[in-house]
Amino acid sequence: MVGPIASLSQLNRADGSASYKCPATGYSILGAVNAPIELPARRDALKPEEATVEVFVKPGTTTAGVGERYVEGILRSVLGKIVLGREKGFPRRGVVLTLAIVGGENVQRGDSYLTILPALLHAALLAMISASVPLSMTFSATLLGVTKSGDIVRDPSPTAAKAAVSLHVFAISSKNHLLLNESEGRFEFDTWELVRERAVSICQGVTPASTDGDVTMGEGTASASLNGFIRETVEDQVYSDYAYKLDDI
Amino acid sequence: MSAPLVLLPSDEVPQDHLPTNNSNPLRLGPGLRILSQPSSKGSNHVLTATQAGLLTTDAKRNTVSLLSFPNRRYIPTVNDFVIAQIHHSSVDFFHCMVTPHTAHALLGQLSFEGASKKTRPMLKQGELVYARVQSVGVGAGAEVELTCVNPATGKADGGLGPLTGGMVFDVSTGLVVLSELGKKLESLGGFEIAVGRNGKVWVDCSNAAESAVKVTIAIGRCLQETDQQNLHTHDQKKLVMKILRDMKLVS
Repeated sequence: MVGPIASLSQLNRADGSASYKCPATGYSILGAVNAPIELPARRDALKPEEATVEVFVKPGTTTAGVGERYVEGILRSVLGKIVLGREKGFPRRGVVLTLAIVGGENVQRGDSYLTILPALLHAALLAMISASVPLSMTFSATLLGVTKSGDIVRDPSPTAAKAAVSLHVFAISSKNHLLLNESEGRFEFDTWELVRERAVSICQGVTPASTDGDVTMGEGTASASLNGFIRETVEDQVYSDYAYKLDDI
Repeated sequence: MSAPLVLLPSDEVPQDHLPTNNSNPLRLGPGLRILSQPSSKGSNHVLTATQAGLLTTDAKRNTVSLLSFPNRRYIPTVNDFVIAQIHHSSVDFFHCMVTPHTAHALLGQLSFEGASKKTRPMLKQGELVYARVQSVGVGAGAEVELTCVNPATGKADGGLGPLTGGMVFDVSTGLVVLSELGKKLESLGGFEIAVGRNGKVWVDCSNAAESAVKVTIAIGRCLQETDQQNLHTHDQKKLVMKILRDMKLVS
């Protein structure tokens, strides 16, 4: 399976930016973060001690609609929880995140918006890291589809997602917490539990031991995990930015 | 020296990377925080990162800090030198812009070297000052205060004050190498430069007479290209030669 492609700090004028491409679903996202900045009007009245996170999702070819508003809400609640809005310079300021969908199929009206959610989450996280917004943890997300025959498919393409019985998006933090669960379609608790285990193994690269104590072989080396991928991307960028400093050491 | 260590948010700083000098307390730089876990035997302290970056320690000053991405937005910190632009002036203060889209920083009308009610600089909108961050206030929405004098001596140390002439270039908050340009341009009268922590560099070459504009632009181009392409030292020297030739400043 081809892994995702990402790079950091591509835009010069934004405080932080990242691009993320998921080859399995074909989506390509460009994210930019400006923080901390002064928000117009008094949008900080509810929580004056914290930073306000604002998220905008722009589809490549049309104007933003109901689907975009829906994922913006999900992203805002996930990111609002991990951004440390009380650090120096952040209270009463805004963290503005703009995500542009620059490649991949358009999500048609009425289609599930969950297919694009993991790509948006990854682009958002990398852009936040690139802007040095203080975060309490990192995370990675994955999309899993359950087919009619009960198989769990990782990152189904939009057409495969349409045929799936249920779709699940999980975000797992770097500390192994379940940060986000969005499920759609008909499924049972047992199915959900299986899907969750699979999501943890994809994000963490830790294959959970089965009941008889054996460790199932297969995908799940540390570097193949999504959390490992996020770490490698960030490390590469730090090494290239501080190449002059590392030469001295 | 141990291997370079890159931390991500929520990573713990390993004990063996901390400086072992115990004479003065350990000081934390930006990007790190201390978390305490109360347990039965006192509390347990761990240092965790809140930003991604390269961990650096200074054994002499007993500090540990995280070098984050250089393209980030500048957050005012006491004692930093910045280049600010006057936005408007009121009775007691000049309102200055330090970074775009943030609240204005305040610069007292009298916080210049030798300023009094009668003699004080009359700065207009758009003019530049080289100032130092005096205070950032406490709590949410506090105002940032700048000053152009050292409050202890009343002198403008390190070239603080209004910047006249010249031109400002935006670079990333990380810094770049300049000495090569200095050597090459000495014959043309040299140049004056002020570097602000907020990612701005001011260049003035009024000594260079007729080629002043050319020299200023050449320096600006060198700075911005070095910044954008992340050049190494030998590439930077090549770039300086190339741009100076392009602009017909050296043969």
